[in-house]
Amino acid sequence: MTENTLALISFALTLMVFSYLLGDLPLIRHLYRIAAYIFIGMSAAFTLIVGYESLLLPFWQEAQDPAISWTALGSQADPVIFGAALLFAALLLLKPVARLGWLSNSVLAAVVAIGAAVGVLGALRGTLLPLLEATVRLPALDADIGSLLESLLVLLGTLMALFSFHYQVNPSGGARYAPGKVFRTIGKALIVTALGAIYASTILSSLTILTERIAFLFQYGA
Amino acid sequence: MNRRPRAGISMAAVTGFLVGSVAVLSLLLGDNPALFGDGAGAEALAQNLALPGDALLRLLMIVLALSIVFGIANLLTLHIRRLASGRLMSGVLLSSFAGVIGWHIMLPGEPSLLEAIQLPIESALAALLCVTLVAGGARILTRRSDIWGLLFTLVVVLVLLGSLPLPELAPIATFSDWLMRIPAQAGARAILLGIALGSIVVGVRALLGQDRSARG
Repeated sequence: MTENTLALISFALTLMVFSYLLGDLPLIRHLYRIAAYIFIGMSAAFTLIVGYESLLLPFWQEAQDPAISWTALGSQADPVIFGAALLFAALLLLKPVARLGWLSNSVLAAVVAIGAAVGVLGALRGTLLPLLEATVRLPALDADIGSLLESLLVLLGTLMALFSFHYQVNPSGGARYAPGKVFRTIGKALIVTALGAIYASTILSSLTILTERIAFLFQYGA
Repeated sequence: MNRRPRAGISMAAVTGFLVGSVAVLSLLLGDNPALFGDGAGAEALAQNLALPGDALLRLLMIVLALSIVFGIANLLTLHIRRLASGRLMSGVLLSSFAGVIGWHIMLPGEPSLLEAIQLPIESALAALLCVTLVAGGARILTRRSDIWGLLFTLVVVLVLLGSLPLPELAPIATFSDWLMRIPAQAGARAILLGIALGSIVVGVRALLGQDRSARG
């Protein structure tokens, strides 16, 4: 394909997606849907290609390769693991068969449990502990007062924001403990500030892409 | 009326608990000889403990890769049925899918289809996000005109103004920088810690077989 043809297709598709902004007009509304359906079909095909060529095929080749071993058991265990995974996947497909539901449910539970184990340890090691460490770590006492104050503010802010997640109801129905209410309000304000900052950053990122797309449309249209 | 639990459900819960416990223990203790002292057998013990975790992780990766294939097969089956019932848009999806597969078979590694179709649609959709986000932000003020809605909009406006490269707005840029460094960072850390704690709770519930969806 020539460069011009590629640019023409890109131009047409960009306009088709931007037609969403024109709203629910007859004929026009189909343009956006056509672009969306093309996008889904192509994404599915690319995902399949990448899944096969970068995951399944290398796994299969590694399972047969005596020089590579996935576990300390040696390379002869790899085809067994691969076969077990194929069996698991086949059993997952049997879910609609009512009689074998117990088997596919057990396989699904095992897969979910492995995923949960990885998720729990990942959240613990990858997020919770590093974040806690970064939050409670204060600069050395001989550091400048500004950075010490900033670290303290971030620590206090994080604690108050975490406190605002805590759902609390006074069982006697009376007013809530006043300092707790103040902490919760400040914490909620910090969370709203963080969400606002994330929202603004997302707008800025998409604005950059919008500028690039509009520049492309003008460049090609001119 | 008390209902007895079905055998399938309890077996799934027991399987999940056993497999999950083995995976957690193996991933936690395996490949970490320091936990078992300085003895000669410490390294071998750590390696042996890592074995089930390695095997289960590899098994999970292959099952997940296969489940992607199953998911795509399900999507295609659904759209073939929809096309048969006269919905022509499904034909667009199926032909774009077939087009990419055919293109890849005939010209493997040739990126022009990706560059001419996939990337422009992706970029245009990401660009549309800007318009919908701004419209959504404006709607917050009309639908939720309380102090939190106002604070949210104020922060968004300040950060956007602070990012403008205008010397007249330098004080706003300084304030916006402080806002991002202290209050927004504190709030974001709390959100991330909340997500991590929530993930751990959900994960432990799944491991203990308390989550109904995890039992299949």
